[in-house]
Amino acid sequence: MELSFDRDAHLQERLAFIRQYAAWIKRTPDAEWSRQQADLIDSFIENARNMPLSKEAYLRIVDGRKRNSWQV
Amino acid sequence: MEIRYSGGKIDISEKRITLLDRFVLDFIRVLEHQTPYVIVSGYVAILFGRSRGTEDVDILIPTMEKAHFTLLHDTLLSGGYEFLNAEDAGGLHDMLTRKMGIRVAKKGQYIPNIELKFLKDEIDRQVFQDRREVALPDAQVFISPIEIQIAYKIHLGSPKDIEDALFLFEIFGTHLDRGRLKEQMKAFHVSGDEYGIIL
Repeated sequence: MELSFDRDAHLQERLAFIRQYAAWIKRTPDAEWSRQQADLIDSFIENARNMPLSKEAYLRIVDGRKRNSWQV
Repeated sequence: MEIRYSGGKIDISEKRITLLDRFVLDFIRVLEHQTPYVIVSGYVAILFGRSRGTEDVDILIPTMEKAHFTLLHDTLLSGGYEFLNAEDAGGLHDMLTRKMGIRVAKKGQYIPNIELKFLKDEIDRQVFQDRREVALPDAQVFISPIEIQIAYKIHLGSPKDIEDALFLFEIFGTHLDRGRLKEQMKAFHVSGDEYGIIL
């Protein structure tokens, strides 16, 4: 099966979103954008805290990711 | 949010503090009794509103002698933190001196965590020397100069990093020192043109 995923087009689409999102942040009071951001980030942290993972397993995942990808 | 400067600090004192911010601020309250620091990488973009999570927050500190690091180590342990690397204070200090990062989290919680590193090269030293103060509700943090952060993120080159770079470029806009940003782009051998980061 051939994947038809166009990475460049996807990145450009993401960058267009970032521009729009940054423009929204700039015209929105701190209390408002940060409330919405907090809802997202707090959910992420709460979910992560419930992940049944040992610290050894977590470090293995992080090390593997560093070796295999761009994530630094 | 239009970027505001107040008394030399970047002012986002109306920002709502997230659980991630609280984790960082609590850690820094312990850390800064022992050493100055600078926060770098993804958390810098998140601090100014980027809508993404992160597992870890990167913090650079000047090189410490082993005895001083042991004091920081013991203070963190007694403050409810744990080191994720399976090393004692001596082993952790050895990792740091070999330019590796060590991870610290609240005991029993691995995410989020802090990746702590010693300053390792001229760029790190520049980031530290020119660190910027950010005013948050009832707290201050020191972050990397935004111009260096943008160039560094383009250098890293993953989609997530490019998005962070563009986000900071858009948010800081005319407040950026374009000359310095150009210099940094040159130092990292990168260009932002294809991402719309045009100087």
